[in-house]
Amino acid sequence: MGKKIFIFVFCVFLGLSGCATRPTDPEELRIYEETNDPFEPANRGIHAFNQAADKAILKPIAKGYRAVVPAFFRTSIGNFFDTLRQPMHFVNALLQGQFKDAGCILGRTATNLTFGFFGLFDVATDAGIPNPKNDFGQTLAKWGWDGDGGPFVMLPFLGPSSVRDGIGTAVDGLGNPLGWALWNEAELNYGLLAVDSISAREGALDLLDDLEKSSTDYYATLRSMSRQNRRKKINAVKGEQAEDEKPDYEADFSDIEWED
Amino acid sequence: MKKLILLIALLISCVARAADPAIDFVDRLADRILTEIVSTEKTKAEKEKLFHDTFTEALDLKGIGQFVLGTAWKKASEEERTAFLAAFTDLTVKTWANRFDMYSGQEIVFQGTRNAERGQIYVDSVIQDKQPIEVIWRLRPSKDSYKIVDIIIENVNMASTYRNEYRAFLSQNDNSVPKLTEELIRKKNELQETN
Repeated sequence: MGKKIFIFVFCVFLGLSGCATRPTDPEELRIYEETNDPFEPANRGIHAFNQAADKAILKPIAKGYRAVVPAFFRTSIGNFFDTLRQPMHFVNALLQGQFKDAGCILGRTATNLTFGFFGLFDVATDAGIPNPKNDFGQTLAKWGWDGDGGPFVMLPFLGPSSVRDGIGTAVDGLGNPLGWALWNEAELNYGLLAVDSISAREGALDLLDDLEKSSTDYYATLRSMSRQNRRKKINAVKGEQAEDEKPDYEADFSDIEWED
Repeated sequence: MKKLILLIALLISCVARAADPAIDFVDRLADRILTEIVSTEKTKAEKEKLFHDTFTEALDLKGIGQFVLGTAWKKASEEERTAFLAAFTDLTVKTWANRFDMYSGQEIVFQGTRNAERGQIYVDSVIQDKQPIEVIWRLRPSKDSYKIVDIIIENVNMASTYRNEYRAFLSQNDNSVPKLTEELIRKKNELQETN
C-alpha cells in the first residue's frame, strides 16, 4: 500500500514537474524571486494530492478521534509523542551549539519522565521550562545554509517545506531513536506513526479549517505562512532579529497613500 | 519633602502613561472586544455588527487594502477599488470575528513599543497560553489616536500573508481585481452559511 502511494505521488510529481516560467517584467521578476517557488506547478499537484488524501482519510479520522477521545487523554497522547522526540531535539541543539536549549530539553525530559509519569503529563511547561524543538533544518541553517533554505517544496503528506527543511525532516525522521529501537517491530512502529499523525492533525483541525475556509488560494496562504513562521525558528538559532522580511515589507508600505 | 516626592511620583506616572498611548490603544481595543462583544450574551448577528464597527474603526482597512493588492491597486479603477475594499473588509471582519469567538480568556501581556519606519509604532505583546503566543501590533498615528496597519502573530504578518495570497489568485485569474472581489464575496457567504 505504502509503495503504491509513493509511486502515485511520484507520477503526479513527474507529470507536473514543469517549472514555473521566469518572468521578464522587473516587477513580476521581483515577485517571482520573492515567492521562490520555481516548482510551483508540481508543488500545487502535490498539494492537491495532500488535500484529497487529507479529506478522504486523515481529517475524518482526526475528527473522529476528537469526538471519541476526551481532551485530557488527547493532551497526554500529544505529550507522550513530544517526549519521544526530545532526544532528536537534544542532538540538534548540541549540533547547533545551542547549549541553553539543550539544557532546557534535558530538564524538561527528566521532569516529564519522572513527575510527568513517563511523559504523559507536561509538567515541565507548567513549571516554565521552554520547549525549543530544535530540528535538523535549523542545524543546516546554523551551519551556513541560511535564508529560506532553497526553493519552496510541498512534501507529500507532510506539507509545506523548503529543500533544506525537507532534508532536515528526513534526517530527523531517520535519526529518531524509537524507530531504530523498534526496527524489527514494523507493525508497532507504523502504529505509533499513525497515532502520532492523527494526534498532530487533530491539534491543527481548527487552524487549518479556518485558513482553508477564509483563503482565496489555500496553497499560497500555506506557502506564505509556513515560510514566515519558519524564519522565526531559523532566526532563533542564528541569534538574529525577527522581521527579516522587512526590506520587501517596508518597500510595499512606501507606496500607500494614508488617509486620516 | 514628602509632598515633593509625591509630586515627582505623580509626574513620573503621568509621563509613563503618556509615553505609552500606543499600548493603551491596543489594550483598550482588546478589552472592548472581549468584555463588550465576545463574553456577552448578545446574538451572533448583534456581535457581528459590533465586530464590524469596532474593526472598521480600529483597522486602517484602506491602507491595508492598498498593501495587499500591491501593483494591482494602482491599475484598478476607482469603482474596482471601492468594491474590493468593501468585500475585503467584510471577509476580514467575518474571519476575525470567528477567530475571536474561539478565544477563551487568555491574558494579553504588553512588553513595550518600538519605532517602525514612517513614524509608525510596533506594540509587542504576548498572549499567555500554554505555549505563549507572540503578537506584534503595527500602528499608525491617526488624528489624536491610532489605526492598526498590521498584526504579526508568531512572525506571520497578516498583511504580507494576504498580499501573497491575493497575488497568487490574481496571477491565476488574468490579474482581474473584479474576479478577486467576487471570490472574496463568495468566501464570505460560504463562511456565513457554515457558521
